[in-house]
Amino acid sequence: MRPRRPLPTRTQVLQAAAKAPAPNTRRHRPDYIILVLSCILLAIGLIVVYSISPGLAKLNNVSENFYVTHQLITIGLALVAFGIIAAVPYQRFASMYKPLGIAALIVTFVALIMPVNPAYPAHRWISLGTFSFQSVELVKFALLIYLAAFLSKRMQDGTVSDFKATLKPLGMIIVAVGIIIAGIQSDLGSTGVILAIMGTMVFVAGLPMKKVIIFGLVVALLASVAIVSTPYRRDRFATYLNPEADCQNAGYQACQALVAVGSGGMAGLGLGRSVQAYGYLPESQNDSIFAIYAEKFGFIGSIGLLGLYAVFFGRLKRIIERAPDNYSRLVVIGITAWLSVQSLINIGAMIGLLPLKGITLPFVSYGGTSVVFIMAALGMVFNISRYTAHTTPRITGDKKEGRANDHRTNGGRFRGAYHPNPGSRL
Amino acid sequence: MLKTNTDNVVAAIKRVRLWYVALFVIFGLFGVRLFYLQVIRHNHYKAAALSGQLKQYEVPARRGMIYAKEGDVTVPIVLNQKLYTLYADPGYIKDADKAAAQVAQAVGGQASDYLPLIKAEDTRYSVLKKRLTETQKNKIAKLQQPGLGTVEQDYRTYPQGTLAAQLLGFVNEDGQGKYGLEQALNEELTGVPGELKAVTDSRGVPLAANSDNIERAPVNGKGIVLTVDVAMQQQLEAILKKGVENAKSEGGSALIMDANTGAIKAMANYPTYDPSNFGSVQDGSVFNNAAVSEPLEVGSVMKPLTAAAALNQGVVSANTCYYDPAKYKVDEFTITNIEEDGPAGNRCIKDILNLSLNTGATWLLMQMGDGQLNSKGRTAWHSYMTEHYLFGQTTGIEQGYEATGYVPDAEDNGAGINLTYANTTFGQAMTATPLQLGAALAAVVNGGTYYQPHLVAAKIDASGKQIEQKPIIKKTDVVSAQVSQQIISMMQYTVDNHSFSKKFDQSRYSVGGKTGTAQIAKPNGGYYEDEFNGTYVGFVGGDKPQYVIVVKISKAKNGGYAGTAAAQPVFGNLAHMLLNNFNVTPRN
Repeated sequence: MRPRRPLPTRTQVLQAAAKAPAPNTRRHRPDYIILVLSCILLAIGLIVVYSISPGLAKLNNVSENFYVTHQLITIGLALVAFGIIAAVPYQRFASMYKPLGIAALIVTFVALIMPVNPAYPAHRWISLGTFSFQSVELVKFALLIYLAAFLSKRMQDGTVSDFKATLKPLGMIIVAVGIIIAGIQSDLGSTGVILAIMGTMVFVAGLPMKKVIIFGLVVALLASVAIVSTPYRRDRFATYLNPEADCQNAGYQACQALVAVGSGGMAGLGLGRSVQAYGYLPESQNDSIFAIYAEKFGFIGSIGLLGLYAVFFGRLKRIIERAPDNYSRLVVIGITAWLSVQSLINIGAMIGLLPLKGITLPFVSYGGTSVVFIMAALGMVFNISRYTAHTTPRITGDKKEGRANDHRTNGGRFRGAYHPNPGSRL
Repeated sequence: MLKTNTDNVVAAIKRVRLWYVALFVIFGLFGVRLFYLQVIRHNHYKAAALSGQLKQYEVPARRGMIYAKEGDVTVPIVLNQKLYTLYADPGYIKDADKAAAQVAQAVGGQASDYLPLIKAEDTRYSVLKKRLTETQKNKIAKLQQPGLGTVEQDYRTYPQGTLAAQLLGFVNEDGQGKYGLEQALNEELTGVPGELKAVTDSRGVPLAANSDNIERAPVNGKGIVLTVDVAMQQQLEAILKKGVENAKSEGGSALIMDANTGAIKAMANYPTYDPSNFGSVQDGSVFNNAAVSEPLEVGSVMKPLTAAAALNQGVVSANTCYYDPAKYKVDEFTITNIEEDGPAGNRCIKDILNLSLNTGATWLLMQMGDGQLNSKGRTAWHSYMTEHYLFGQTTGIEQGYEATGYVPDAEDNGAGINLTYANTTFGQAMTATPLQLGAALAAVVNGGTYYQPHLVAAKIDASGKQIEQKPIIKKTDVVSAQVSQQIISMMQYTVDNHSFSKKFDQSRYSVGGKTGTAQIAKPNGGYYEDEFNGTYVGFVGGDKPQYVIVVKISKAKNGGYAGTAAAQPVFGNLAHMLLNNFNVTPRN
């Protein structure tokens, strides 16, 4: 049952009726800004990988251009994926959750039976020559689309908080993710990201606060069990609490990450001056790339990068609020949750606020699968941005009334440059 | 329907905004954390970074080479060879078995020899093999195995083989000079290693120019030009070896010193060793330059010095004669002479040397004490031994482990002191090294100037400039010029009255000498009955002595008196060798 809401006044009803988006919003220019922002982030990643490539190449005995070449190929693939997905009307994906889900299951199954690299003894990758495919990326993507379709249906039916209709299937998904991804693949980072995606989508879909809190407590409990039950996770957690206590062994990467970030200082050592990338900080092109970036560009650069992410997520919020329907809204919020939580987990680990989880920094990290799927997901967002309403639906209690200027009498799309009060837009 | 949908949307957007508030709060927290790490704690992390990244390297200085004279030409006798030490940094080697197999293939040996070294714990520098050649080093480099490295190390090579081995000493695996010249001048030969502090990658390879790098160039060690003459050294070693073998002795020492500068022209001991293979030596005592480091009771070779002291004090004159009783009873002990010297009778000073009269030497000491063995005489003789002849202290020659020898105190050990002092007049109950003996005799025969015995003719600094080393005078007026001349004559007289395989032409050259058959003290007191060291001191020259020669043959077993039978022939051969080959200036 939805909570009771106060009856709207007559004025409110009239205004709402006037502003309500048409069920089929006219197709318009997509939001190029998200494409520009994501390309800037990709470029930053490429520049960092380029600058540490010679050192990495020497340490790993590969040719000097190995990393840059791979990253360029990856970005090319990612842009192709973006282009293809962006060209498909977003509604089509709603009905594709079944084949996508089956594909995700197959990929996961193949990853589980593939022989593993002894250096990384987790069944997470499918090797394809020099490229490797991380199965969980497809799982995230498929799950996201399924949940958007599923939850938007429940929203329509008003059964979001219904146990049998909504919570039970979700619970089963969580159990499956827990067993396969957290359990067998031992990928707690990706599990966290998936749970964050699900949680955010369910939250936005309107799960009552009480249940949200219960859900949160259950997840916290499961996480504690996961940590306490496995010795290596216990160690990692202890390391997380005090990384500098054991810099030589368990806390090595965490310590080196802090050293990299801290030695960057206010302005950074400079693009070519990173030292920590020369074998000190493990995974410096990949999971640890933020620390290398912070070493090179300092506090100013780090805040700049955080700001860039913030602007990017802010831009996604605009699309979420103006989404043509609940399905697309849930898709975009899911993608937002995915990218933002993954960024937070990654950066949080580098600055010693979260335990190391071995997941990539969206757009910036070297590593094929992640970038390709992120850009594919952005392709959907890009497509959805063609159908957004021109304004945000008016929210009850919103202080910023009198937005008459937001509408052009000629029906033209609102353009930011003409906004009388840009600060009011989020 | 519309209302429900709008309601849904409005609720959803409210939740989205709530969610975004949380997101941006976390972003804000991250910003604060970054400020803390990068601005407030920057110095801490900068220091932590440098402590891991900045590595200090010693850039070894090249060890100075050693040269000697070959006539007027300077020739190198100790050179450096660049070889490599292979080490492992075990922490970086993931597959120790594979690495061990690779090493074995590249530099020889068994993989099983290297495996424990590669697996060694608690070290970052585990030496696998030393003395790798350039080719072997390149093979290791080609493996590109992280955790294996080579460092350059200089090794000494000896173009003259074992020549002057004990005089030179050797350089051990740690680059430390041991024994001989290498030890004494280790610091100068080593130079000052350079220093390189560089930010490196995790394997220790320095990164290109970094503002935190510090570099100081090494100062190479000084080159040393010896006073030693290669040809003379070769001949001395050959003559000594033959002398030791003829005397069925366990070993011996000999040296030739320039009487007028203190420069050592040749110095050797037998047996010796090969410095390029010092590691295979079983008995470490062979490293010693015994001529410098092993003092002994020198025996009758002391008598010229005793006579010089008495003459210089004016208590006797060169032609003084006296009644020799052939035995003196001192402190319940009888001092006697050898049988050949015959019964009591009138003797003169030169007979004390020629016949080697112990009683004569004792009589000389008595003259120093107004005709008695007493404190006055002992004190006078003590001051000659220690302050004129500089016994009981090191000479300061550039050699490791130089010994001081021992001179008994004039007022020591109560009742037995007169006997002890009587003994010192003929070279017992005191000890000196052959070098000390040679330096003292040189002072007596060169007119009274004690030159510090030395081996270094010049030093070559890092720029290649030769700095000549001037002889150092340690004492003037050791004896007067007159006494010097008198002792020269007496020692020539002694040579003339002893048989040498080949006579010396005293009209053309001056050749003087004195034998010594030294008793060897037992560790617990008393002397061995049947073991003697044969010693000989002498000089050759023209108008004035040019070279002083000291010979010591240990425990000679070829019959007769060791001084005469074992040491004297060696002196004779050395003296002829000098006269024949080394431009001794004849008399005018």
